[in-house]
Amino acid sequence: MEKKLKQIYEWVDNRVQLADLVKFMSKKYVPVHSRSIWYYFGGVSLFFFIIQVVTGILLLFYYKGSSDLAYESIRFTMSKVQFGWLIRSIHSWSANLFILSVFIHMFSVYFEKSYRNPREMTWVTGVIMFVLSLAFGFSGYLLPWNELAYFATKVGTDIVGAVPVVGDPLKYFLRGGDDVTGATLSRFFGFHVALFPGIFTFLLIVHLLLVQRQGMSEPMHLKNTAKEEKKTMPFFPNFMLRDLLLWLVVLNILAILAVFFPAELGLKADPLASAPAGIQPEWYFLFMFQTLKFLPAHVFFVEGEVLGVLLFGLAGVLWLLVPVWDRKSAKGQQNRLINYIGIFSVMFIIILTIIGWVLK
Amino acid sequence: MGIKMNYIPKLRLITIVLSIFIIQYTYAADDQCLSCHQGLDDKPSKLFIEDVHYKAGLSCSSCHGGNSNSDDMDLAMSKSNGFIGVPVSNSISEMCSKCHSDFDYMKKYNSNIHTNQFVKLKESVHGKLAVNGKGMMLQCITCHNAHGIKKANDPKSPVYPTNVPQTCNKCHGNATFMQSYNPAISVDQLTKYRTSVHGVLNSKGNIKVAECASCHGSHDIFSAKDVRSKVYKLNIPGTCSNCHSDKNYMKDFDIPTDQFAKYQNSVHGKAVFEKQDLSAPVCNDCHGNHGATPPGIESISKVCGSCHALNAELFSASPHKKAFDEKKYPECETCHGNHEILIAKDQLLGVDKGAICLKCHSENENQKGYLIAKEMKKLTDSLIVSDSIAKNMVFQAEQKGMDVEELKYKLREIHQARLEGRTIVHSFDEAKFKEVTTKGFKTSDTIITEAKAAVDEFYFRRYGLGVAVAVITFLIVMLFLYIKKIEKPKSL
Repeated sequence: MEKKLKQIYEWVDNRVQLADLVKFMSKKYVPVHSRSIWYYFGGVSLFFFIIQVVTGILLLFYYKGSSDLAYESIRFTMSKVQFGWLIRSIHSWSANLFILSVFIHMFSVYFEKSYRNPREMTWVTGVIMFVLSLAFGFSGYLLPWNELAYFATKVGTDIVGAVPVVGDPLKYFLRGGDDVTGATLSRFFGFHVALFPGIFTFLLIVHLLLVQRQGMSEPMHLKNTAKEEKKTMPFFPNFMLRDLLLWLVVLNILAILAVFFPAELGLKADPLASAPAGIQPEWYFLFMFQTLKFLPAHVFFVEGEVLGVLLFGLAGVLWLLVPVWDRKSAKGQQNRLINYIGIFSVMFIIILTIIGWVLK
Repeated sequence: MGIKMNYIPKLRLITIVLSIFIIQYTYAADDQCLSCHQGLDDKPSKLFIEDVHYKAGLSCSSCHGGNSNSDDMDLAMSKSNGFIGVPVSNSISEMCSKCHSDFDYMKKYNSNIHTNQFVKLKESVHGKLAVNGKGMMLQCITCHNAHGIKKANDPKSPVYPTNVPQTCNKCHGNATFMQSYNPAISVDQLTKYRTSVHGVLNSKGNIKVAECASCHGSHDIFSAKDVRSKVYKLNIPGTCSNCHSDKNYMKDFDIPTDQFAKYQNSVHGKAVFEKQDLSAPVCNDCHGNHGATPPGIESISKVCGSCHALNAELFSASPHKKAFDEKKYPECETCHGNHEILIAKDQLLGVDKGAICLKCHSENENQKGYLIAKEMKKLTDSLIVSDSIAKNMVFQAEQKGMDVEELKYKLREIHQARLEGRTIVHSFDEAKFKEVTTKGFKTSDTIITEAKAAVDEFYFRRYGLGVAVAVITFLIVMLFLYIKKIEKPKSL
């Protein structure tokens, strides 16, 4: 058996020079320190993305992207297709855990200031992928064409419409018309399974290549530690095996969640019905939604909702450009402001999400 | 002196009466319009002296304007004296309403006539614009006449109860005229009415029986589709009961007065009053309206069958039809009653206590029917049990979070079989009944099997998860040990 495997490896190696890759990976070392645990969330996010791709393709076998058939096709998948219920539940849970994992990964990178020179591009691609993850969630949420999804999309696209100047045309573009209709479903389906995955995959390749090329970022406090005192572990196989171990743990959690709390379908969307009480977006949009709800109708001469959207937009741009304006960290100096902003952001997101959840 | 004193009040009374007579005579004699037109021997003046208004002291000028005291025709009929000639279209009714809408004025004549008639007329279906576009389609004089107006309780009045049908028929019996307004209304209502109990008695001079105005109203008539109409579907039981539930009013007629009370309690009454169900039958759906007549023994199944068509058809083809006809049993009514028809529950069938079949069938008498009823009830009860088991199994699967929407939909088929059973029972044919119940049994078997499979699937998922978690955990442990092994410091 071992001999056979060796033969296969050699066959492939002769053609694509696998040995060079193995040599590269085995020469690559990952720093070991008290905060090494955060390194794994990038890998966990990648694992969830792979699960999303695989389960998403399986769901595509049966899904029909029209307002007449979408709901029925998912009901069929869940009730008639072997393990269809499991695939959909895993897709749904994995989507949520993916976003959670991306949140953790992004904030860990932020607090470690790993975005500093020379990893600015890695940060920028990562933040764009984070935004795309939210877009994946938003577009995928509508696809079952159920009551909750329909009205959540209506509210969500209405918020987009509040953006000054470009809001209305953008809302019209997203909806494919004045209202959320079958046209909206068709284009959200297109975004979800073609446009977003295409862009995301490209950014992911760039992101991973940069990580491999530049290696893992070391915490700033290790800068002055002597090279001999620094602990490391080989990327291959040690770090990869640990990654794999965590992936298996995550897979176990995912399986338990999918079986014990399977994804629900609810009632089919009825555009003529009134919106059910307590309509809310998915949890990862809740802090923004709740903030907009808390804002007064008018702040001076600006509409509260418009101001909220503008502030979130500004915060997003500043977040994306943090490697540019955080000059201190780039020079290797401590920047407490970054920590305060980070702590404020995390607290803000957690508290507003809890409030939004409680006030449901 | 005492005798004289007793005479004084009588003398006073005589003086007053004579004075009124003289004044009125003088006043009438002073009506130069009338005296002149009487000389011409025209119809209006002939009719007017019989008119209730003339007798009350009104003159021609009261409606036509002018100076009725002047014998100079030019002066009497001059515009400067307010002469308007013959009023046309709405000005006719407006002229009447000048007095008839004035409460204080009417009080002078000790009138008990309502003063809102004109308002009502304008709002009514007859107050709509006439096809000539000049005014209301109907004016006061259309029904009451112009110059020979009589009190409504005067047998000569066109609105006297026995004359009302003919008065209404002047327009409603005229096909050409009615086509201009509502071609959908039949023009043979009077003919039908004359065949009804009401119509027959009315033509014999009975003024208590219903005529057109009794049901449709007089000044406030609305289209039967209008919820304000007395003959709007949901208002009909109340309209009929105005007379038919009044014991005092109905004492001259030998019929009960509890129909409305019974009907209110019936399945039909509840549908009408509680659910506002316009498809449920009200009085006229069974008794007719213009040709109102109680259904006879032979016609009951036809009357009920106009809605319950299949039941009636099955009954007519069943062996019961002949037996009922021979014994003069009123078909549907024999088992279901008439005004107080209750929901036909399954308990009506069979040979248990409360079953209607026991009225005629027993173990000793008409035994064949007894056995069939017993078997049908057995099948019905079994289907109820199967339905209940199927529902319970579906509920169990649903409680476990399984998708049972399709099964819930299928449950309706069992319910449908039970409903069909209630219909097919009217054939009193055991084989046909079995055919229907078998459909229900088959569906319930399918549902129970599929619901059980859903419950099994639930446990399969749980066990499957257990196995998967165990395998993954095993891999985790093995991987963990392997990592430990490769990271173990190598001994020198």
